[in-house]
Amino acid sequence: MVEFGIEFVPRDLYWKTTFYAIQAEKIGFDYLWITDHFNNRNVYVSLAIASAYTERIRFGPGVTNPYLVHPMVTAQAVATLNEIAPDRVVCGLGAGDRTTLQMVNLEQRKPLQTIRECVKIIREITAGKSVAMQGKIFKITGVKLNFKMATPIPVFIGAQGPKMLALAAEIGDGVLINASHPEDVKNAMKFIHKGLEKADKRLDDLTVSVYTSFSVASSYDKALKAVVPVVAYIVAGSPDIILERHKISVEVARMIREAIVHGRWKEAFSHVNANMVEAFSICGTPETCVDKIHKLLKVGINQMVSGSPIGPNMRKSINMIAAEVFPHFKELIGEEKND
Amino acid sequence: MAMEKIARKIPASLWGRASEKLIDITLNSSNASKMPSDIAKTILYYWQRDQLATEVGLQRLLEASMIMEPDKAITLMEELGLPEIVVMLKETKR
Repeated sequence: MVEFGIEFVPRDLYWKTTFYAIQAEKIGFDYLWITDHFNNRNVYVSLAIASAYTERIRFGPGVTNPYLVHPMVTAQAVATLNEIAPDRVVCGLGAGDRTTLQMVNLEQRKPLQTIRECVKIIREITAGKSVAMQGKIFKITGVKLNFKMATPIPVFIGAQGPKMLALAAEIGDGVLINASHPEDVKNAMKFIHKGLEKADKRLDDLTVSVYTSFSVASSYDKALKAVVPVVAYIVAGSPDIILERHKISVEVARMIREAIVHGRWKEAFSHVNANMVEAFSICGTPETCVDKIHKLLKVGINQMVSGSPIGPNMRKSINMIAAEVFPHFKELIGEEKND
Repeated sequence: MAMEKIARKIPASLWGRASEKLIDITLNSSNASKMPSDIAKTILYYWQRDQLATEVGLQRLLEASMIMEPDKAITLMEELGLPEIVVMLKETKR
């Protein structure tokens, strides 16, 4: 059984994002992920309104990070959402995007330890416990929520590098593999297995999701135009080991990062080439996208997330997914998607 | 009240097409920030319940379109062959 997720970046007006969230639920998406960037609309406000106009789709921040938002505040936010939509909330966490963090002078310090402590805090707080922790990163003395949670909230961890992938498998309920290329996912699975082994968990205990950058349109060129800015950000934030695997110059990636940090968007996007698009996105006509999704599913994932930008025209692209992508996965997904 | 009257004049056979086009006009408008919050929330309410291609849904979509893209809304009604509605919409613009 494979589930499908969709990611929105709340840079659109709230009613547009909510309109697309309703549309995504109608066509059968299982998960709605909304990104957490300080320069866009607030993720929890966006999720709260989307949850009020949907009935079934599961949703959560995709992903928030403990450098900008203290885990206590994240726990409070997801716990509150869980009151609005019980059993539908998930919490996506990650170590943040280093380019974005750099913009506000935040250092991505000790990401593994930070995520480990963050997950522990969120788990315990949302379980109604009082948390006292003298961690290497977070020091908390006996704090708890003043309200109770009815149901637990699964924690998904966004990961790209080997150690974070292993940690995500070890301590997460789900892992969001930040990748769009089957080779990257195949490689990620090795580290996921290591993490599972360390925690004495089975693969069935973990939701393995691939969090892609996705752009579908009636022609490759239209899809490409929409995906280039997203690919620029991914290249800028990718570890060298991943860039090298795809024969992408670390120096060019540094140039893209510099350009983004200083708001020179045109320059940043001009460095994006076809190789980068192939490595870091699912981009093209529905046929091309179906082909690439099939390759990803063969690796053994159980959630496929269509991430930003989705396409040059959000509504059309979501309808295209319904009409020309989902039908190719009939045997893997719930009946309701095929009605 | 005026828009309610206008929406009632759209033949049921055109509800689907009119609704689809009006949704595109509102979502793709460069004046999207002019959308009043109460109309936005009503549109979302009807969208969730599959009622945008009904008289009440069309009324709200027309209201939104006339605020954000009045010329496009009027052109659409012309394309749908609804001259009486074109006149009525032009009246509301005055």
